[in-house]
Amino acid sequence: MAAAAPSSEAPLTAATNIEPFFVLHKGDASSTSASSLPPPLARWRIDVSRPTSSPNHKSRKRSRNEVAEEAGSGDAELYERLRLEAFHRAWSKIQSTIDEVLRGISLKLFDQVLLWVQESFSAVRSIARPTAAEVQQPYPLLTDVICRKIPTAFVLTKNAEFVDDITTFRDLAGHLESNGCHLAKLSAADFSAKHGVGGCFRSLLRQLLSYVPDVTHIFALASWYSVKENYDQPIVVIIDDLEQCCGDVLGELVMMLSEWVIKIPIFFVMGIATTLDAPRKLLSSEALQRLEPCKLTLGSPSDRMNALVEAILVKPCAGFCISHEVAVFLRNYFFKHDGTITSLISALKLACSKHFSIEPLSFLCIGMLEEDCENFWRNEFDALPQVMQKYSSGLPSCNRVKGSSNSGNNMVKGLSELMKVQKDWSSVLLCLYEAGRHGKVQLLDIFCEAVNPDLHTQKTPNSATFLSKVTSENLQIGKSGTSRRFIDQAMGAIRYLPAETLFRLLEVWSIHLKGMNEISDKVKELQSTTISVDSVRITKDKWPRRSTGSAGNSTVPLNDKVAMLLDEATRNFLVPVECLPFHEIICFKNVGILQSALIGNPRRMVQLDLLKSHRHLKCSCCRKNGIAVSASMHDTSIMCNLAQEYGDVINLHDWYLSFDGIINSTHSKVKRKPHASPSKKKSKLMAAESEAMIQARFCRAVTELQITGLLRMPSKRRPDLVQRIAFGP
Amino acid sequence: MAPRGGHAAAEGVSSGSEDDDEEAGFSRSYFLAKEKEPSSSKKRARDTGKLSDLNLVDEQALRASLAEIPAKHEKEVEALTRSYKDQYRNWLFELRCGFSLLMYGFGSKKLLLEDFASTTLTDSSVIVVNGYLPSINLKQVIATIAEVFWEQTKLKRKRQSGTRSQLPQPFASQSIDDIISFLNNQTSDNGEENVCLLIHNIDGPALRDAESQQCLAQVSCCPQVRVVASLDHINAPLLWDKKMVHTQFKWSWYHVPTFAPYKVEGVFYPLILASGGHAQTTKTALVVLQSLTPNAQSVFRVLAEYQLANPKEEGMPVSSLYTKCRERFLVSSQVTLNSHLTEFKDHDLVKIRKHSDGQDCLHIPLVCDALEKLLQELA
Repeated sequence: MAAAAPSSEAPLTAATNIEPFFVLHKGDASSTSASSLPPPLARWRIDVSRPTSSPNHKSRKRSRNEVAEEAGSGDAELYERLRLEAFHRAWSKIQSTIDEVLRGISLKLFDQVLLWVQESFSAVRSIARPTAAEVQQPYPLLTDVICRKIPTAFVLTKNAEFVDDITTFRDLAGHLESNGCHLAKLSAADFSAKHGVGGCFRSLLRQLLSYVPDVTHIFALASWYSVKENYDQPIVVIIDDLEQCCGDVLGELVMMLSEWVIKIPIFFVMGIATTLDAPRKLLSSEALQRLEPCKLTLGSPSDRMNALVEAILVKPCAGFCISHEVAVFLRNYFFKHDGTITSLISALKLACSKHFSIEPLSFLCIGMLEEDCENFWRNEFDALPQVMQKYSSGLPSCNRVKGSSNSGNNMVKGLSELMKVQKDWSSVLLCLYEAGRHGKVQLLDIFCEAVNPDLHTQKTPNSATFLSKVTSENLQIGKSGTSRRFIDQAMGAIRYLPAETLFRLLEVWSIHLKGMNEISDKVKELQSTTISVDSVRITKDKWPRRSTGSAGNSTVPLNDKVAMLLDEATRNFLVPVECLPFHEIICFKNVGILQSALIGNPRRMVQLDLLKSHRHLKCSCCRKNGIAVSASMHDTSIMCNLAQEYGDVINLHDWYLSFDGIINSTHSKVKRKPHASPSKKKSKLMAAESEAMIQARFCRAVTELQITGLLRMPSKRRPDLVQRIAFGP
Repeated sequence: MAPRGGHAAAEGVSSGSEDDDEEAGFSRSYFLAKEKEPSSSKKRARDTGKLSDLNLVDEQALRASLAEIPAKHEKEVEALTRSYKDQYRNWLFELRCGFSLLMYGFGSKKLLLEDFASTTLTDSSVIVVNGYLPSINLKQVIATIAEVFWEQTKLKRKRQSGTRSQLPQPFASQSIDDIISFLNNQTSDNGEENVCLLIHNIDGPALRDAESQQCLAQVSCCPQVRVVASLDHINAPLLWDKKMVHTQFKWSWYHVPTFAPYKVEGVFYPLILASGGHAQTTKTALVVLQSLTPNAQSVFRVLAEYQLANPKEEGMPVSSLYTKCRERFLVSSQVTLNSHLTEFKDHDLVKIRKHSDGQDCLHIPLVCDALEKLLQELA
C-alpha cells in the first residue's frame, strides 16, 4: 500500500475522525490463502512434529527452497511463521508446566475443601431431606431445627496481591466441579453497590441455569435445584476476593440464601488476602451470624515461587531460557515492582515472545522438545537459506570457538552439547538449592547467580583453596565477592547440617544427579559412609550440633566432604548457558527491549519527549547554540520547557509573553534585514496577523499539554492560572 | 510585566552539556516547584499579569489561524513516523503471540496506527474506536465486534459445510455479558479468524471510567480479539489494576513519539485564549442580553450596578431588586420580574445564592472588570 509515511492531511471532519467507532476493513480470509503468504500453518505444524519422516521432509525442503527462489520476502515470512509456531509450542509447554506446578501445590488444599464440602453437605442433609416439591415451597420446612447457617470456608491466601490467586481459585472451581459440585464463581465486580444484590444473584444464576429469566428470583434457583439431576449435589459459590466486595451487598446475599440453606444447600468458599477478621470488618454482625466458618490456608507464596522457578527456569522445559541480565532484571522486577507471580510469568512470556520475534534462528529451540533433536536440527539447518546459514556461523558466541569448516555439523553439535550442559547445569543447581534450603536460600536467588557467566569465568579451579576456605570459618564472607553470595551460603549451610539431614540431602542429590555418572558415584560413596555414621547416631539420644562434644568432631570431615563434592560439581558442571556457543538461539538476552515493553512509563517518557524533542526529531535547526529553547522547536516543546521555570501554577499571561518572546526572537532577526524596504503599514499588518497566529499556536500547545495530562485547566475562580501536574521526568 | 523574558527562560534552562541538562531536569521535583511559589508570592503571581491585559484576538480569528498553523519539522516528523514502519512486522508478531499493543509518547498516533492496521493487519477485520470523542457507546462497539466475527466465521462455515447457521438473536439486543461470553466461546482451529480492536486514546474522556475499562479488559482477553491501543495522558496507567494489566490486557508497551499535531484529538478542548478568559463570557452574555427586551436589559443593568456598587456582598436580594425595578417602572409585578429572572438563569447570566441571613439573592457570575465592560457594550 502506501509506501510513504502516512499523510497528515486528513480532513478534520472526515467520518473516520468524528464517528465513535467504525470498521476500518474486514478481514478477508480468502485473501490470506491466495496471497503470497507461505502455505497455511497447519501443514507446517505436521511437518515440525514429524521431522524424521523423510519423504514428507523432502517435499517440505523443496517447497521451502522454491519459496526462497521465488521471493526473498516470502522466505522471511516463512521463517516468521515458523518462529511464531515455535513460540506457541514453547509457551504452551511452559504454560502447562506452570499450571501443573501450581495445581500440584494447591492440591492438598483442594482436597481439604472438597472434604469440607462433602461433610457440610451430609450435615445439612442430616437435618432434613426435603422433597422436590418442598424445595419449591416458599415457607420453611416443618422440622424441629430451623437451620439458617451457611457453611463457609475462609481460605487464607497469604497473598497481599489477589491477582496470584485467580488461577488458584479457578483450579479449585475445576476440582470441585469435577467432583460433582455445582459451581458458581463470583468476584468483586459482581458485588457492586450499583447493581445491588439483584446483580450478583443474577450472575450467580447465569452460571448455574441455562436460561436466566428477566426477573431473577430465588424460586428460579429453587425450581432448577429441584430437578432430579441437580438435586443430589451441593452448590458451591466461590468468592475469590472477599475484601474487594461491597459488604452490604454480600451481607444481603448471605441473608437471602441463608433462609433457604436447608432446601438449597449453597456453601461459600471465600478467599481472604489479609487476616481472618476481614469478614468481621466487612459484614454486619447479623450476616456474620448466618455463616458457619471454617478456616483453610493456602500454601505460602514463596513455596510456589520456588516450585515455579524450578519448573520453568531451572529445568528448561521448552528449550527457551534467559540470560543472566534478564534473570536479574526479572528478579528485581519481582521484588521491587510488583511482587506477584502473575507479573513474573507475564514478564517471562513477554521475554519469550520478544526472543522468538527478534532472533532469526529461535525456531530451532523447538528441537529441544523433539525426541531426535540432532536429526531435527540437521534437517532444519540444511533447509536454511544461505544467508541464515552464514548468520548461524557468525553468531558472537561461535566466534570464540573456532571450529571445523562444516558449519552445519558445528551447529548441530553445538546445540546438542548445549542441551547436555544445560541439563547438568540444572541438576547441579538443584543440588545447590537443596543444600541452600536449609539456610533459607531462595531458588530464584541462586538461579540468578548460577546463570552469571562472569562468575563462571572468574572462578579459580583449585580445590585446595576451597578446603582452606571451608575450614577458615569465613565462608560467607568469602573472597569471591558478594556476587556469589547465595551459592556460598548454600555451601556454607552444608557445614551445619546434622547427619540425618545430610543423609536426606544426599538422597535427594542422587535423584537430581541421575545421569551424571561421575558425580552420582561420588554421592553414593558418601552415602555409604553416612549410613555408617548414621547407625552410630541412632544409638545416641541427641546429636543436634556438630560443634558439641566429641561426636561432632567426626562429622566435620563428612560435612566438608559433602561441601567439597558440591563445590567440585559446581565448578565442573555449573556452566552458565551464556558461556556456550550457539546459546543465542535459545537464550533471550536483550534486557532493554524487555524492560521497555514491560514497564511503559508515560509520565517520564512524554516529558522527556517534549524536553528533548530534538533527540527524536534529529533536526539540525534546534539546539544549535547550546540554547535549550529556540524558536525552531516544536511549539509544545517550547511551552513545556518554559513551564519548567514555574512552580505548580503558571500564570498564562506571563507564559504567553515568554512564548511570544521566543517565537519573535528569530522573527525579528529575520525581519530586520528587509526592514528598510517595505512600508510601515504593511509590516504592521503582518505583525497583527502573526499575533493571531502566535495566539493560535499558544492555544494549540496548551491543548496538547492538556491532552498529555501535563497541565490542568484554570478554574473559574482563577482564570489566569493553569496548574502544572508533573514535576521533573 | 513578565518576570522572565523568553531569553532569560531559555538561558535558565540551558546549562552546558546535555547530560547536565538532564540531571537538572531530574532534580526538579515537586517540592522545588512548590518552593518557588510560596504562599505570599502566589498572590503576586496572580496579580502580575492577567489574560485580559493581552491584546487577544477574537475567537473567530483565532480559529482561522489555528487551521493555518504552519507545520514545523515536517520532514523530520515524517521520517520519524516512517521509521516505525520497520517495526510493523514485530508488532504483528507480538499481537499474534497474544499480547496487546499499547503505544505511547508525545504526538498524535492516530495516523500511525491506522497505517499499521491497513498495511499490516490485512488478514483480520479492524474496528477503530475514536476514544478521544466525548461519548462512545461501548456496547455498540462490542456488538459490532461480535457481528463482524460472526460474519467472518459464517462465511467460512458456509464454504466448509454448505449449511447456513442462524444467529439466535441480534447482538444489539443482547446484554454486554452475553456478547462477551459469545466471544469467549468462539474458537477457531488455526487462530486465523480474529478481529482487531484499534482504540485511539484508550484514556480518552469517554473511556476514562472504571466500567468502560473493565469492559475493554474483558473484551481484550477474548481469544479472537486483538487490541492495539494508544494513550496520551501521563496518568493513564492508573486506570488499570494488576488483574487487568497482567491477565486481561497483557500490554506490550511501545514508546513511539510522533510529534504529529493532535488535530482531531484536540477538537473538543476549549481554546485557552478564547473561552478561558472573560472576554468570551462577556461576549456570550452580551449576545444573550441583546436578544432580550429593553426592559429585561434594564433589569439586568439594575442588578449589575448593584453588584458593582457592593462587590463584597453575596448578591442582591430578590425583594430589593423588585423594589428597585418597580421604582423605575421596569416591571409591574413580581410575575414579570420572575419571567425575566428565569430567562437570565437559563442562560447562566444570573446565579442564585443563599444570603447569610437566609434569603435568596441574585448574583452575576462575572468579575467586576468583565461586568463593567459588559455594561459599556450594552449601552
